[in-house]
Amino acid sequence: MAEIKTKNFLASSQMAIKDPQLRQALEKVGTGFDGARREAIEEISEAKWEEWRLKAREIKEHTIENLDYYLDMLYTNVTKAGGHVHFARDDNEANAIVSKLVEANNIQIATKSKSMVSEELGLNGVLESLGVDVYETDLGEYIIQLAGETPSHLVAPALHKTKGQVASLFQDKLGIPYNEDIEAMAKTAREILRDKFLNADLGISGANFLVAETGSLVIITNEGNGRLCTSAPRIHIGITGMEKVIPSLEDLATFLRLLPRSATGQRLTSYVSIVTGPRRVTDEDGPEQFHLIIVDNGRSKMLADPKLREALYCIRCGACLNICPVYQKVGGHAYGWVYPGPIGSIVTPNLTVLQNAKDLPFASSLCGACREACPIKINIPRMLLNLREELVQPNSNANSTSKFSEDIAAKSYTKLMKHPGILKLGTMILTGLQKPFLKGGVISSVPIPPLSIWTRSRDLPKLPDKTFHQIWKDSLKDNQDNNG
Amino acid sequence: MKNLGTPKDIFLESIRDCLGKNEGQPVIQRGNLSQSTWELQQLSEDLRLSLNKDIDGLTTKLSATAEARGWNVHHPVNMEGILDVISEITKKWGSTDITRTDQEVFYEYSIDSGLSNLGCKITTIARTDLQEDRIRLREDIISSGIGITGADYAVAETGSVVILPRKGLSRLVSVVPPVHIALVRKQDILRSLDDVFLLRRLDYHLGNDMGSYLNFITGPSRTADIEQTIVIGVHGPKEVHMLLLD
Ligand code: SF4
Repeated sequence: MAEIKTKNFLASSQMAIKDPQLRQALEKVGTGFDGARREAIEEISEAKWEEWRLKAREIKEHTIENLDYYLDMLYTNVTKAGGHVHFARDDNEANAIVSKLVEANNIQIATKSKSMVSEELGLNGVLESLGVDVYETDLGEYIIQLAGETPSHLVAPALHKTKGQVASLFQDKLGIPYNEDIEAMAKTAREILRDKFLNADLGISGANFLVAETGSLVIITNEGNGRLCTSAPRIHIGITGMEKVIPSLEDLATFLRLLPRSATGQRLTSYVSIVTGPRRVTDEDGPEQFHLIIVDNGRSKMLADPKLREALYCIRCGACLNICPVYQKVGGHAYGWVYPGPIGSIVTPNLTVLQNAKDLPFASSLCGACREACPIKINIPRMLLNLREELVQPNSNANSTSKFSEDIAAKSYTKLMKHPGILKLGTMILTGLQKPFLKGGVISSVPIPPLSIWTRSRDLPKLPDKTFHQIWKDSLKDNQDNNG
Repeated sequence: MKNLGTPKDIFLESIRDCLGKNEGQPVIQRGNLSQSTWELQQLSEDLRLSLNKDIDGLTTKLSATAEARGWNVHHPVNMEGILDVISEITKKWGSTDITRTDQEVFYEYSIDSGLSNLGCKITTIARTDLQEDRIRLREDIISSGIGITGADYAVAETGSVVILPRKGLSRLVSVVPPVHIALVRKQDILRSLDDVFLLRRLDYHLGNDMGSYLNFITGPSRTADIEQTIVIGVHGPKEVHMLLLD
């Protein structure tokens, strides 16, 4: 699993707020992507947008309530198309499946298109330890791989970097002259990665959606790297969370309308690729093997809790990040793990350990902007309150607790709006909202780590100690225990 | 290859535990999965009729959305017109190496001899089963400056060209060369994404293969990964042309 630094939220956000380069990089978040999103909605009318959102939410609700049924249908249809489906309960198991496939097929070079789940698993480290040369190919992911960092945004992973920082990075790591012309930098990446695509044995992708009806994996991209990763190498592995399944191709149309508009304001991304199994004998090219790895890795926790279940409706568009006053100030890395922003504050504590991420549910002014922006109308503020409640009084559902948190939040929110100064705002987010859980002075007594500790992303994850066979046997045993 | 990881039944049982439910069909079936093939067929026929009545309207709509998404849209009226457009592009890019797929549209509009006369070298995706031929072909695609394909559908709502994989069609022709030219027949223009999926679903439920790679192309390759600044032409084509043919 990718290294978890959720405990450092307070210190990290303070560092972030004081980092002028990050300030500069984050400046455009509210106007850039979010401005484009608003324009796109205006173009098709609020009423139409609302209609699509309701439809999408209904589809997600229905699918998650019947997740077992649709995963089974997906399995049947992927298999029918000649692909393989593997289920992984956790990161170790998912990494073991990939390792097994890498070894069985003598993989030397792998290219990856963007996959947040693979970040969750720390998959690159695992591949490297197996001697595989692995290349991230999405421009943003390529940048952070070179820098040895993790993504700071769901859609634009290198959003925290200024062009000057990217230019220095390229100069450093690629040995080319410093040039902060963005077009020139994109061209450099194209030239370097072109070769890798064509020589790779393995292409790894995430999935934006899985279609149960046809057994298809859908990826939505702009650069073309996703198409190359899934077309040129002889093996394609898709890795994704179990919540990504939707019932039918017809449902897909609704999500194709919502996701690009919410993410970048685009009416549709440049590419939508719908992959169904490996290449057929009659196809001229395409991978000979198609493997789909469906990952739980803690999602069950949210599935089992009716209060948190709707967090699984998320389509990772990033709209709630772009609009969030806290994200806009502290950026993505402060959140300490793979998923930042408002939805990250719910998902991260559940996929990792709530007690170690107890600042995250408080990293919000509960202003409600995220819920407004969310194409699936996910009630993020309510779930944040639920998590706060759980932290204050574990195992208690007393109404008074949530009322308490809400009051605090409402008060802090008013304060925030009165003092929009950047540093002040940041400090208040950090101190005001945290107060009930931090005795006076704790924040200042938290030793501030050197910048490198929290900007450098993660160490190589360890390979699982157990063999694949052991893990499988253990998981069988665990399951019997649970059932018994 | 056997399935790795947690066996399916165990994985699904654990999901049912989380949901507190038993195995079985959803209580309420979502409408579109209970549609019969007959229903889909009716819908498709209605769709075809309504599309055929509105080819001009759809062409206008598609031209507008496609241009907004970054396509260069052309309306050549005859063979000569098509060759003119392509020849302009080869001149602009100083590139005469062309790879084209082997799709139906090229039998209706045989551009090869015309392009050869213009001094272009044309590689056609040969319908081959030989591994060596395939490897050579891949190298040809990589070295070409322009890729030309047909389109199975075009979508007026989104400005997209949709391509289905099959024999004679390499996935790489429309993504590897720096320029992509798509020949679109006006009778293949659909109104919306829903239309595409209706037709694909009908085909699938009639027992035909879904195909390994249904590809929507909507403008050139682009990125906004550095400072949210849009750059055109990252890993895919920098310039894309759509030729609308009667
Ligand atoms: S919670 Fe909603 S707005 Fe946030 S990333 Fe997920 S889908 Fe997008």
